[in-house]
Amino acid sequence: MQAVRELYDDFIRTFGNVLFAVLLFIVWGLLTLIGVIIAQGKDPATYFDSYAAPLARLILRLDFNNIYHTPYYVGIIGLILLSLAVCTFKRVIPARLPPLRAVAIDKIPLHASFDAAGDPETIRDRIAAFFRARGWNVRKREFGGIEWTFADKHNWARRGVLVAHMGFVIIAAGTTIYWAKGFSGDEAIITGQTVSVPHTQTSIKLDGFSYKIKPIITKSGMVYQPIDYVSRVTATGSDGVARTATIRVNHPLDVDGVLYYQSSYGFAMRFRVTHDGVRVPALTNRDYLTGDEIDLPGTQRSVAVAQFVPTVDRLNGVPSADPRVNNPAVFLQIFDSGQASGAGLVPMKSSIDAGGGWRITPEQYLLVSGIQYTHDPGVALVGIGAFVLLAGLMISFYLLPARVFVRIDPAPGGSRIGLAATTVKGYDIFERQFNDLAAALGTKLIGESHG
Amino acid sequence: MANGRMPLDEVLMVIAIGAYVVGALALLVYFFSRSEWLRHLAIPLAIAGCVAQFGQLIARYEITHIWPLLNLYGSLSLFAAVAVLIFIIFAFRYDLWFAGGFVLGLAALFLAYAITWNEGSMPAVPSLQSYWAKIHVPLVVSSYAAFMISFVMSAIFLVKYYFERSLAKQAIPTTGGAAAFVQAPDAMAAVRMDTPAIAAAAAAGNAGAQWLNTIPSLAQLDVLIYRIVAVGLPLLTLGIITGAMWAHESWGHYWQWDPKETAALFSWIVYAIYMHLHTRNAWRGMRTAWVSVLGFLSIMFCYFGVNIWISGLHSYKV
Ligand code: HEM
Repeated sequence: MQAVRELYDDFIRTFGNVLFAVLLFIVWGLLTLIGVIIAQGKDPATYFDSYAAPLARLILRLDFNNIYHTPYYVGIIGLILLSLAVCTFKRVIPARLPPLRAVAIDKIPLHASFDAAGDPETIRDRIAAFFRARGWNVRKREFGGIEWTFADKHNWARRGVLVAHMGFVIIAAGTTIYWAKGFSGDEAIITGQTVSVPHTQTSIKLDGFSYKIKPIITKSGMVYQPIDYVSRVTATGSDGVARTATIRVNHPLDVDGVLYYQSSYGFAMRFRVTHDGVRVPALTNRDYLTGDEIDLPGTQRSVAVAQFVPTVDRLNGVPSADPRVNNPAVFLQIFDSGQASGAGLVPMKSSIDAGGGWRITPEQYLLVSGIQYTHDPGVALVGIGAFVLLAGLMISFYLLPARVFVRIDPAPGGSRIGLAATTVKGYDIFERQFNDLAAALGTKLIGESHG
Repeated sequence: MANGRMPLDEVLMVIAIGAYVVGALALLVYFFSRSEWLRHLAIPLAIAGCVAQFGQLIARYEITHIWPLLNLYGSLSLFAAVAVLIFIIFAFRYDLWFAGGFVLGLAALFLAYAITWNEGSMPAVPSLQSYWAKIHVPLVVSSYAAFMISFVMSAIFLVKYYFERSLAKQAIPTTGGAAAFVQAPDAMAAVRMDTPAIAAAAAAGNAGAQWLNTIPSLAQLDVLIYRIVAVGLPLLTLGIITGAMWAHESWGHYWQWDPKETAALFSWIVYAIYMHLHTRNAWRGMRTAWVSVLGFLSIMFCYFGVNIWISGLHSYKV
C-alpha cells in the first residue's frame, strides 16, 4: 500500500512539473521536426534513393517515413495530455492569490512609501477610491491595529492558463473523434463515369471537367499558371435524389455530411487495339488511366500508358511544358515478358507497333477529375478548441493578475503609506506599472515619495 | 516599365529600402555614440520606410489587381513592414531605439532579398484564390515579424549576459557580486539578472560596458522579450488556425501534416516551451532568451527552408 502511495506521489510530482512538460514538448518538437525533414508517406525506394542505405533502413524501421501516425508520436501527445491534466488539477486550479495578510512591505522588491497629510481613515478612503477608479478590486482589513488595503486586478485571469490548457484538450478530443468515426479518400472520376463513394450511400457522376490555364511571361521564362478547375457533377445522396452541382477548388460540395473537394485532374485514354489489322473490341472499348497496362491476350506482351502529353511541339516533335491540350500524344511503353522492349510518343490517331501483329492507336482522350472526400464529425470540436486555446493565450498573456498591498500608519502630521506589489509572473514585469501607480498615487495624495 | 518609368510600387520599395538603410546606419552610430540627433533623424526615417512599404503593397494591389502577398516578394515585404511597425510601437513605448539599427538593417536585408523574388504580376493558382489568403497570410507573416523583434532583443540580452559573465570571470577574486553571478545557483535568478561587473567596468571606463550599462537591465530585456513573444505566439496560433480552416476548405482536411504546417507547428512548440519555461523564476533570462533565438531560427526554417528544400502540398499538382 505504501509502495503504491509512493508511486502515485512520484507520478503526480513528475507529471505535475512544468519542466517535465517542457521535456515532453521537446520530444514532441523533435519528432515533429523529423517529419518535416524526412518526406512522409513515400515509396520505400524513395528513401534508398535519397539517403545512404543504413540510414534509409533506419528510417523505415523506425517508421520515420510515416511518423505522425506512429504509436510513439500519438503516445507523446497522450503523455502531454496526461501531464496537462495532472498539472491542471494539482497546480493550476489550487493556485490562488495568497490570502489577505500583513506583509513586510520593504521585503517585497516592488515597494514605495509616502507621507501624506490626513488621518489614516481619510487616506484609506482616498486610496481605495484611487484604486477603484483604475479598475482594481479593493478590500480593507486590519491586522495588529494596522490598517491594510488590498487592491487586486485581473484575479480571474489566473484562469487563462486553465482556458489555454482546456483548448488543447478540446482539440485533442476533436481529432480523436475523426480517428474513431471519420473517413476520407479520393476517387479519380473519368468524364461520364459514375462512382459509388465507399463508406457512403452516395454516387457521383462526372458530367464534365474544365480547367483554365494562363500562359504568363515572367522574368524567368514562360509559366503556365492554373487559374481554375471545375467539375460538373450529378450527385445522388442517401435520399436517392440526383442533384447537379459544381465542385471547384476552395468550394467543396456537401452531400450527407461528407465533403467533396476538387483535388487534382488528369487524362484518361481510349485506344483502338488491333491484331493483324482486326479491331479487338474488349480492349478498344475501355478507358485507361495513366499507369494502366493493356495486356495483349495470348502473348507475354503488355503496353503501359506511361504519360499523357497535352501538347507536342509541332516543329520538333518534343513534348512542350504547355499543360493545355493542343497537339496531344501518349507516351507508351511496350513490355515483353516483363522486359521493356520498346517505347514511343504516339500522337492521336497515329499508331505504334507492339509486335506480333498488335497495333495500338490512341483515339480519344478524356478528362479525369480527382475528387477527394472527407467526413469529419470532430471538426467543429477542433474549431472550438482552437479558439478556446487562443482565448486562453490572450488572457494569460495580456491580463496580469496582480495585487497591491497598502499599509497605512499614523505619522507625525498625517499618515505614512507603504505600498508593495506582487504578480503571478514575478516582479520585473510589473515594475513600470508599479512605478507609474506609485507616482500617480503620490501625486494624488500630495505627499512626498521616499520609496 | 513600358514608358521607361518605374511603376509606383517599385519606387516606393526603393524609398523604403533607402529609408531603412540610412535609418539603420544612423541608429547603429547612435548605438555607440548616443548622439541624440541621430535618433531624431532615424525615427522619421523608420516611420517613412514603414509607410512607404504599406504604400508599396497597396500600390501593387491597385496596379495588378492581384493580392500581393501570395509570393515571397509580397510576403517578405509585409514581413519587413510589420516587423518595423511592431518595433516602432515598442520603441516608442519602451524606448528601444538603441536596438533600431539591427531591426532596420534586417528589414532592409529582407527587402533586398524580396526583390530577387519579384516575378512580376502572376495570377493566383486556384487553391490560393480564397478570402482566406487575405486573412491567413498577414497573420502568419505578422507573427514572424514579431518573432524577429524578440530575436533581436534576445540577441542583445545574450550579448549583455555573456559580457557580464566574461567580466565577472576575470574579476572573481575581488568582486563579491560578480563571483555570486558566476556561481549562482538556479534559484538565485535575481542574481543572474544583475550585472555588477558591467557596472564596475563601465565606471572604470570600459567602452563596451559603458554602452551595455545604458541599455535596459537584463530583467527589463527579459520582460520585453516576453511581451513581444506574447504578441507573436497568439498571432502564430491564429495563423495556424486560419491556415487549418483554409486547408479544410481547399484540401479537404484541416491538417494534412504538410511540411509547411508541421514546420509552423514545430515553431509553435518552441514558443510554447518558451512560455512554460518563463513561468519558472529560475529559467527566466538566459535560458528563455536562447529558446527565443531557437524559436526565430525555426521560424526562418519554416519561412524559407521548407519552401526551398522540401516539397509539399503547397503546389497544386497536375
Ligand atoms: C500544448 C499544450 C499546452 C498549452 C497550449 C499551454 C499553454 C499555456 C499558457 C499559455 C500558459 C501561460 C503562460 C504565461 O502566462 O506566461 C501556461 C502556463 C502553464 N502551463 Fe501550460 N500549456 C500546455 C501544456 C501544459 C502541460 C502539459 C503542462 C503540465 C505540466 C502545463 C502546465 C502549465 C503550468 C503549471 C503553467 C503555469 C501556471 C502559472 O504558474 O501561472 N502546460 N500554459
